[in-house]
Amino acid sequence: MATNLRNYVIRRALLLVPVLVGVTLLIFAVSQLLDPYMRASLYITDPRQIRNIEAIIQKYGLNQPFYIQYFKWIEQVLQGNLGWSQSARMQVLNALINYFPATLELALYAAPLTIIVGIILGKVAAVKKDTAVDHLLRSMAIIGWSLPSFWLGIVLLAMFYGGLGIFGPGRLSTWAEALVLSGQFKTYTGLYTIDAILNLNGAVLLDALSHLVLPVTTLVIINVAVLMRVMRSSMLEQLNKTYVIAARARGLKEKVVIDKHVTKNALIPVITLSGLLTASMLSGMVITETVFEIKGIGYFAARAATQLDVSAVLGFALFAGTLFVIANLIVDILYAYIDPRIRLG
Amino acid sequence: MVRKSVSAISKTVAAVIAVIIVVAIVAAIAAYMVTIPPSAPPTTPTTPTRTGVYIKNPEVDELIEKGIMTIDPAEREKIYYTLQKIYYEDVPSVVLVQPLGRHWERTWVQGWYYNPAFPGTYFYALSKSSDAKNPDTMIVATIGEPETLDPAWAYDTASGEIIFNMYDTLIFYDREHVDKFIPVIAEVVPSVENGLVRDNGLTIIFPIREGIKTHYGGEITPEDVEYSFERLMVMDRDGGPSWMLLEPLLGVESTRDEEGNIVVTAEQIDRAVEVEGRNVIFHLAKPYPLTVFFQILSQTWSSIIDKECAITHGAWPGTWENWTEYNNPAEPELQEADCGSGPFMLEAWEHGKQVSLVRFDNYFRGPAQLKRAVVKSVDEWSTRKLMFLRGDADIVYVPRQYIEELEGIEGIRCVKNLPTIQNDAIFFTMKIDPTSPYIGSGKLDGEGIPPDFFSDIDVRLGFAYAIDYDRLVNEVFLGEAKHVPGPGVEGLPFFNPDQPVYTLDLNKAKEHFQRAWGGQVWEKGFKIVILYNVGNEERKAVSEMLKENLESLNPKFKVEVRAVEWPIYLKAMVRGQLPVFIIGWLADYPDMHNFAFPYMHSRGTFAEWQGYVTPAQE
Repeated sequence: MATNLRNYVIRRALLLVPVLVGVTLLIFAVSQLLDPYMRASLYITDPRQIRNIEAIIQKYGLNQPFYIQYFKWIEQVLQGNLGWSQSARMQVLNALINYFPATLELALYAAPLTIIVGIILGKVAAVKKDTAVDHLLRSMAIIGWSLPSFWLGIVLLAMFYGGLGIFGPGRLSTWAEALVLSGQFKTYTGLYTIDAILNLNGAVLLDALSHLVLPVTTLVIINVAVLMRVMRSSMLEQLNKTYVIAARARGLKEKVVIDKHVTKNALIPVITLSGLLTASMLSGMVITETVFEIKGIGYFAARAATQLDVSAVLGFALFAGTLFVIANLIVDILYAYIDPRIRLG
Repeated sequence: MVRKSVSAISKTVAAVIAVIIVVAIVAAIAAYMVTIPPSAPPTTPTTPTRTGVYIKNPEVDELIEKGIMTIDPAEREKIYYTLQKIYYEDVPSVVLVQPLGRHWERTWVQGWYYNPAFPGTYFYALSKSSDAKNPDTMIVATIGEPETLDPAWAYDTASGEIIFNMYDTLIFYDREHVDKFIPVIAEVVPSVENGLVRDNGLTIIFPIREGIKTHYGGEITPEDVEYSFERLMVMDRDGGPSWMLLEPLLGVESTRDEEGNIVVTAEQIDRAVEVEGRNVIFHLAKPYPLTVFFQILSQTWSSIIDKECAITHGAWPGTWENWTEYNNPAEPELQEADCGSGPFMLEAWEHGKQVSLVRFDNYFRGPAQLKRAVVKSVDEWSTRKLMFLRGDADIVYVPRQYIEELEGIEGIRCVKNLPTIQNDAIFFTMKIDPTSPYIGSGKLDGEGIPPDFFSDIDVRLGFAYAIDYDRLVNEVFLGEAKHVPGPGVEGLPFFNPDQPVYTLDLNKAKEHFQRAWGGQVWEKGFKIVILYNVGNEERKAVSEMLKENLESLNPKFKVEVRAVEWPIYLKAMVRGQLPVFIIGWLADYPDMHNFAFPYMHSRGTFAEWQGYVTPAQE
């Protein structure tokens, strides 16, 4: 089993190379459909610079043939240089390192909460099928799913921050920011809640957590519906299986049947979805990040895309592609763990 | 029993990847087909390629060049008054409005004052009353973020706002005045009277103050001053601010020609700024108005840099052997460095989020009252507004359409009608690219316009009289703009407030169109496409106003207003494809020259695209 697993992981890791080449080639090709003037507009930050656009095109080689530009980029990447991001005003690699912690911290709380709440609600809805509880949960899930995250975020912010003065935007309050930047606080991970624990600073921890309440709530409300519905369907499918009838016929308690047998088997599709959800959160939550002023990787990617910052978009594609491949790998391994019938071959 | 195998999943994934690669290759081939090959000739219209159509402005270039080389203010006034008259009579473009600024702050903010040449908030002048939230920290919530903290690279206001709080200049604007200066790193402001301006203004001497500490730990020396200006000229990046010093010091606008070859020598740069004891001496290549030169020296590109700090960060080492390697770099060398001596030091630049500054306690003019200053980039208005109302932002950028949401709220102050050094104008392209997709048939047959349509002054006047300027000011700018004559703006020295302006007058518009092109325009009509970039409400309003008014004059006049993305607009504008284009200009320094040149000189930013050239230059 251990050898199988190792071989499987190696194979999947090798698969990452064609995935990333394919994705970057595709993005690069699409970006080349925009002519050099459009790509050069990224470097025009002021109307006074417009007259230099031709020189800027020459300087950055934007009118060179596609393959030359792509191979130059590949050459840079192989040297560990992902290029310069004009939209982020820094090296792409530094930008990824700079923006990722904010997203990671948000996902660290939002993803597990979404998954746990989704599983619990889906399970309850399935067990209470066609009862008032089921209808209520399903209705709430649909409403949550239908709410635009932008609107929900603004409403929550207006209610709690605007109305009550709690749960402000950003990642820290002004005083905590000053402390974190002052040198009295050591930054280890860029995740303020984790760093606060490592610094044994309860005040910063509470402050960072209070700033996470609303964005995490928004993400849970928006995302929980899908997980809940998948879990419910999966549970209902399992409840109709013969092994459940047999277990009940043998006199097993309903709680044991549900918790020990049905739930475990029903989790397979939920795991797939959870993996994708987590990877998707880790690759950025543009709207939530924008509304709550959490400048994460989603903000970086969205800005790069809207400003036609090709280097940054390619860097992000490498990052997101790797993330999704790893997420799928973890999901596959979890499959095998939860259902021993599945072989990693 | 169902036997699931992950190998099957792998095969599926592999198949998907194969499809992606195939699609990518196809797209790549398609892309290559549309990519401009490197051997293609340059497509930007340049003066020599524009032939056949001229506008009668033979004296314009000469006057503009004379204006910037004239020292005597009275003489300059005459020149700029003449240029404004020509601008009105020749109508190469029409200034639509001079927008007015607004400043929103919490009432606990103290000491704020306005200078239109400032790129943002000058924190050294500010403090907060004790009842304020975070009384030691000033927080500005705005949009966008700096491009760089390198003074020799920065040309955008967001960068300038940070830089002018971190660095000092030789001299600086005296509070609100744009033409009075105070010494900062220089001990005195040079003048003819104090003997520091010599040789008819060609030699300007700045005695350097002693004991100015830098954030890097050093002290500002005359060599640092010399290095700062020489580095600005050595760097001269495309689209950067170096031309402002190159023009008076070397007599050129760029260190490179159009092919990118270096056209100045190390000796020229070295000789332009020299050190003698504690003095730094500027040798000007040509007579230059002292006030304009001082305005240039008071801006962020003239910041004084700690040389040792800059070199440590990989900037030009100050030697001449390989100086061209540091010319036009791809990236700013001092992107996040702090080599300044200003009242605030860089604490952190958290990209996309904020730049925070901390007080420099060793500042030679005494430490600032604020301990910290933070410029936050908060793109979402609702969030920015809530931060302002909760006191988590002290100064905030409020887009015009949201003004009503804040008016009358206690604890908030708004200073209105601030004069700016910018204007918006509509430009007529005299020689449109014949391949332009925006001129219909390309002929005067009622289904398009000929490329030289606007070379007839009656067409330009017809357009000028068909714009409802008052409606633009009141409905689009909500009263926050002035209708001023061009090409300058009110408040600048040598601006002629008595110069007439065009107003909406459809009868006059009709008269001019009836005369245009020997009556053919009126008889045959025309069809034209006016573009505006998506999201720009001002340009949209002007375009639609023109459509409405022109089509009301004659049923044969057809105007199509089309929204496009900014890069498309930019490309079409630069290539001379837009029959008319609407764009704003923010002056580099508050002088008429900085408007006259781009608007009227044949090498000016806009005039060049329009083909507003003189026969002599052709």
